[in-house]
Amino acid sequence: MTARGLRWWSWIHRWSSLICTIFALLLCLTGLPLIFHEELGPNPAIDEVAGPGGRASVDRMIAEALAGRPGEVVPYLFYDRDKPILKIPTAASMTSAPDTFFYKVFDIRTGKALAADQPNEGFLYIMLRLHADLFAGTKGMLFLGGMGLLLTLSIVSGMVLYGPFARRLRFGEIRKRHSNRLRWLDLHNLLGIITLAWFGIVTLTGVINTLAAPIELMWQSNQLLEMAAQNRGKAPDDRKAPVDLVLANVRAAVPGMTVMTLAFPGTPFSTPTHYAAFLTGDTPLTSRILKPAIIDAASGEVVAVRDMPWYATALFVSQPLHFGDYGGLPLKIIWALLDIVTIIILISGLYLWLAKSRAGGARLDLVETASAKAAR
Amino acid sequence: MNTGRTRNSPWAIPALLALVTLFGLLAALVGEGGIWWALSWAALAVPCACSAYYFVRGLLPPDKP
Repeated sequence: MTARGLRWWSWIHRWSSLICTIFALLLCLTGLPLIFHEELGPNPAIDEVAGPGGRASVDRMIAEALAGRPGEVVPYLFYDRDKPILKIPTAASMTSAPDTFFYKVFDIRTGKALAADQPNEGFLYIMLRLHADLFAGTKGMLFLGGMGLLLTLSIVSGMVLYGPFARRLRFGEIRKRHSNRLRWLDLHNLLGIITLAWFGIVTLTGVINTLAAPIELMWQSNQLLEMAAQNRGKAPDDRKAPVDLVLANVRAAVPGMTVMTLAFPGTPFSTPTHYAAFLTGDTPLTSRILKPAIIDAASGEVVAVRDMPWYATALFVSQPLHFGDYGGLPLKIIWALLDIVTIIILISGLYLWLAKSRAGGARLDLVETASAKAAR
Repeated sequence: MNTGRTRNSPWAIPALLALVTLFGLLAALVGEGGIWWALSWAALAVPCACSAYYFVRGLLPPDKP
């Protein structure tokens, strides 16, 4: 690399990192407990049941959820990927913000209500909001996405700079004798290059996750309307088919897949006259990819089933790669360890910049390296 | 530049680490449970172990000359 190229990449690495470091640190720190959200979060105690395949009436559970919340409506049903539970939120209206939902959790086999804390309060919820949107909704999420892009740039430029750096050293060599700064420069570079692939993937998939809102919007304005249009021309009807019938029809229409979410008519994920069900497969990968089915609200008949477009699939696949929740507890522990390493990289990078500006000058780096070489 | 360096590129070990990491990330996602989980853990333990090893080594005082 030419001296000019080196200066250019150093400049990019310095400024892209400096701008996003404080947010990257926040993301790494809040992300740490979130890795274990399933273990730490509200977990209802689930009884052993004699007939594990049984299914209780969902309409009865809905009635029970609504009984305690007069004047409210049920906008969604949320199933769990691993546990036999159904989370039924109630809200003031079909379009209420999810952070205002009140949840009641049921055992899907017995229909029994389970005692569980609300998922939208407590320590983990605060961590989640700080991590995902800084309590600022879609704007905050997109802002963090921008910080993630800068972090990606910082990772790429760091990788480019590793080349000229490594030419002078054996892999794993850490110069300790000359100054603390040089020791930490070597550690920063070494830990950075060791965790490069993981850090790069987690950052990039995080950026994709911040695009959830625009992706939803695109899907709603394109596919959802197209799918619902397939039964246009039918007379409007105020009847609502029972939810149990809707679910049975969906399961019959899409065999081999599991209903994960049901959106009631009038929510942002359905239409005023349709239910929308979101189904998943049963392999590690297909269990992350939602397939929507649109159901006529009056008759309960399935109108259309279709795969999501590629941009939605990109979002679904990037989720497990960001969360690290697809390989059991050991994978989560690995995620946490690598997260701690990236915290060390971020703090050492900040230290290196501070030490460098205190020592006065960007040339120090090269001077020190030359003197270290001479001393060997 | 000496020829030994070109044969032993500074990118050899980082590239290997990146490949092992990518394999570990995809093994548990694309493979279906069982052995693939174990392979994923084993592969991803490599960058963890390398980080820990070099971090501890870097913090130790310099060897006596």
